[in-house]
Formats: sequence, structure tokens, C-alpha cells
Amino acid sequence: MLQGFMTTLKSILEKPVTIQYPEQKRPVRSRFKGRHVLKRYDNGLEKCIGCALCAAACPADAIFVEASENSDENRYSPGERYASTYEINMMRCIFCGFCEDACPTEAIVLGDNYELSFTSRTDAIYPKDMLLEPVPEDGSPTPQKVPAGAFDRAIPLMQDATD
Amino acid sequence: MEIKKVDEGKFVVPIGPQHPALKEPGHFEFTVDGEIVMDAKVRLGFVHRGIEKMAEQRTYTRDLYLMERVCGICSHVHGTAFTLGVEKLAGVTAPPRAQAIRVIIAELERIHSHLLWLGVAAHEGGFDTLFMYSWRDRETVMDLLELLSGNRVHYSANVLGGVKFDINPVQTDQIRRGVDYLEERTQFYQKVVTTDNTFLGRTRGVGYMSREQAELQGAVGPTARASGVTRDVRVDAPYSFYPQTPVQIVLDDGGDLTARFIVRIKELFEAYRLVRLLLDNLPEGELATRMPRRIPAGEVISRVEAPRGELMYFIRSNGTDMPERVKIRTPSLCNWGTITSTAVGLKLADMPMLLAGIDPCFSCNDRMIRVRRAGEPGVMTWDQIKAGKGGWSV
Ligand code: SF4
Ligand code: SF4
Repeated sequence: MLQGFMTTLKSILEKPVTIQYPEQKRPVRSRFKGRHVLKRYDNGLEKCIGCALCAAACPADAIFVEASENSDENRYSPGERYASTYEINMMRCIFCGFCEDACPTEAIVLGDNYELSFTSRTDAIYPKDMLLEPVPEDGSPTPQKVPAGAFDRAIPLMQDATD
Repeated sequence: MEIKKVDEGKFVVPIGPQHPALKEPGHFEFTVDGEIVMDAKVRLGFVHRGIEKMAEQRTYTRDLYLMERVCGICSHVHGTAFTLGVEKLAGVTAPPRAQAIRVIIAELERIHSHLLWLGVAAHEGGFDTLFMYSWRDRETVMDLLELLSGNRVHYSANVLGGVKFDINPVQTDQIRRGVDYLEERTQFYQKVVTTDNTFLGRTRGVGYMSREQAELQGAVGPTARASGVTRDVRVDAPYSFYPQTPVQIVLDDGGDLTARFIVRIKELFEAYRLVRLLLDNLPEGELATRMPRRIPAGEVISRVEAPRGELMYFIRSNGTDMPERVKIRTPSLCNWGTITSTAVGLKLADMPMLLAGIDPCFSCNDRMIRVRRAGEPGVMTWDQIKAGKGGWSV
């Protein structure tokens, strides 16, 4: 019996193995695939050009993209077109990250947010404004008015990712 | 619980689909005479998702992601079975380093799956302390897998023609340390399940299945090996990197639940040994080779040993970039048959333990039936969901 008490006593002094979840969070690894974020350039323009390659790649058919024309008065993203509708059905999404691989402009990135919850099928469709990241500090919100010809190139010159 | 009367003195006890034992949907009908089970029926198919059909409409690359999602526990073996099949059709062999990494992940996954099972089975036996201990230690291997892949469940290690990520020396050290710790803990669990009297009372002699029976009913994996059947794809038809690192088959002649515990725990030791061996002898080289987009026409059967037993993929290609047919036969499906015969003569209270004993996985074997009630929309369009017409909204 004493031995039993000793075991209890020992466990009392041990560090708990559980984490008090909502207050305490476990950091995720860099390869973690959480909720998607649509990225912006430093000046606030959206990276997404509405090419729908992600929608074509998605194994679960979770993405719906509709593109519209950009103009220099109303510019959302570099190049000719931008995504006027961008929706991801979080109930279909399997968080595989293939959309990230498919995107030519690295616009869609799977972030570290794993706290997804919704109460209806309708709410499970995340529209563009929920997915877009906030405008960076020295950027301005879209649509922007830009000088003609400054952002005609849709796909930026890219280097290989170094992470 | 609703009890249906069949004939004099016998009752049918329906259990599920909200399953009392495992947190997955399956329906069972046990015909009982008093406490003793006379007959058992299993009905499956509640979590059918139509993955095989979906696979026919997608390219091989997209299918791979789907196949990984067939099972939430052994996602990697499904991916491996599919990739190995497609690679065989295309006549491509993944580089040795990729093969070795596949096997490392597969063995780590086996550790995670067996520890999970140990916890579940202990819980069904009313031994919650063991459940909590084994799940606490399972976190170690989950962390290792997360370290390698960034995710706890869907490691997504495979690509057609290789693997996605490498294992660097730092990670190797961490895996070694984790495995050492787990080995020590597993020794303790082995002692517990073979010596704890209360626990043995619930497992020894329960659910006995003879070798002939196991062979007749086509049992696979640890369930079969616990009845002395020498059946392990890693040994019978080694794939990937197993030819270079032979597996020692773990057998037990007990045939009862105790034997199933012992076999799985011994397999854990075997997995630790393999992981160490592979980490020591990780071949150098590329991680992936080029894969053609269109796969030459042909048929292939790809077999791998999942934690629960033999997993079989049949893939037929018609020369395009989409498969014509993908058929998945999961180990759980083979083992269900054994339940119907081993259950006879046992007490109703032994059923959860018996069911847990085959380590069933519902989500991976349900691909057969589509349940649809009258008036329910079969297919919902994007606009219907957005308009809240899909039902289930508040
Ligand atoms: S993570 Fe995968 S399933 Fe989800 S939207 Fe991207 S491609 Fe589709
Ligand atoms: S997120 Fe990328 S792939 Fe998808 S539409 Fe936008 S630019 Fe194209």
C-alpha cells in the first residue's frame, strides 16, 4: 500500500503532460498545413491573379475562383486579372497543400491556424475577405489607383524559396 | 437500447451505429441467449465517402492526396500502396533514399497505430490507466512524425516517384531518442499485459481463433499472426526498402486476445529495431525521380502491410493521366469476418474487447454503400451550400 502512495506522491510532483489548450497553445511546425491565407505584396496589392490553377489542382474540389479584369484605376493585383470571387469550402478541403504548390504567384499559403469552426455548411465556405491577409503597414488597401503600366506583369520574378 | 425478440429465450441486441466501444460508426446485431452470444452480424458502410469513384475523375497526383485520406490512422501506407502501384505501372522506381524514408515513416506509423490500439483496447477492458499511459507515450511518436512532416496525422510523405522531405541528422538523433524512450515504455506495457491478473482475466482465452479458422476466414495482420498464421506482406513479398532490411515475423500461437496484445507489442519492438537499422543505413541520394504524367495502360495490384494487416490496391490505367479504376481492399474488412465466428459463445460484455481486438478501422473499410434518404439532396452545388440549402444549417 505504501508503494501505491509513493506512486501517487511521485506523480503529484511530476510536470503535467497535458496542455491547458485554449489558454496554452502548442506551436506548430514549419511544415504544418493549417488554414489558407491569401497573401499580399508589400504595397498591399493582392498576389492572387485569379488564374484558378489552385482550383484545378485541388484534389477535393474545395476552391472556387472567379476572375475579373484589373485596370490601373481599380487595381487589385498585378497583371490583367484578379480574383473577384475566391472561396474555399473548408468542409471539403483536406489540407493537403497542393493549391500552394500549384499557385504561380505564391498567393495562397497554408498558414498555422488550426482553429476552424463553423455551425453550418454555408459558414464553411470562407470568402475572400476572410482569407486575405491584412494590408501590410506601408501598403494601401485594394483596389488601388496606380500609375499606368507599373504593374502589368502578373507573375513576379521569383527566386527559389529559401526556408 | 431496443431489444428485439426472436424466438424462445433469445434476443437480438442491436448495437450502433453510434458505437459504444469504438468512436466510429458500425452496426452490430448480437443474438443472445441470456448473457451468451449465439450469433453476430456486422453491418458496415456508414462512413462511405465515394473515394474510389472520385479517384477515377482525378489525375494520379491529385488521387494520391485523396488516398492518404482513406484512413485517419494509417494514412502513409495508403499513400505508399498507391504510389508503389502507380510507379510499377509507369516503370519508375523511387531512389533508395526515398524508399528508406518511406519505410521509416511506415514503421513510425505502425508504432503510433499500435500504441493507439493498445490504449483503445485497454480502455475497452476497463483499464483506463494503461489507456492514458500508452496514449501519453504515443505523443512521443506523434511528435516525431510531426517533426518530420509538420503534421500529426497526414504526413503526406509520398509523391509519385519519391518522397517529399528528407531526414536530417538532427532529426535522426531525435528519432533515436524517442524510440529509446518508447522501447523502455513498451517493455513495461509488455509486462503489464502479460502479468496483470485483472487484465488477463479479460483477455486470456477470450475470442479464441484457431489457425485453421484464421486461414479459412482470411484474417490478416496481427489478428492472423496471433493465431500462428505466417502472413505478413513485408515478409512474403517485400516491397520498397524491406528487401534490404528484412523483417522478422512476429507470431504467437495463443489465438486469444492475450496473443493479439503480445503480437502487437512485439511488433512494436520489431518496428523500433527497423527504425534504428534504417537510420543507421540511410542510403544517400536523390529524394525523387521524374514521373511521367500519363501512366501507360495496364493493371497492377499493389500490396503493403498496414498496421492492421495486408492492404491491397488495384489500379487500372488506360494510358491517360487518370486511373480508370482504383479498388482498395483494407485489412479491417478481412478481419471483420472473424468477429462473427469468434463472438459465438462469449459473454455480451466481452464484445467491446473482442471488437477492439481486431483493431478495426471503420473509415477505411467503408466504401461500399451510399445511404440516401428520400427527399435528401444527393448532390449539392456550391450555390446551394452558400444559400444554406444543404440542410444541417442553423
Ligand atoms: S489544401 Fe488541398 S484540399 Fe485544401 S484547398 Fe488547397 S488543394 Fe484543395
Ligand atoms: S491563388 Fe494562385 S493559383 Fe489560385 S487563383 Fe490565385 S493566383 Fe491562381
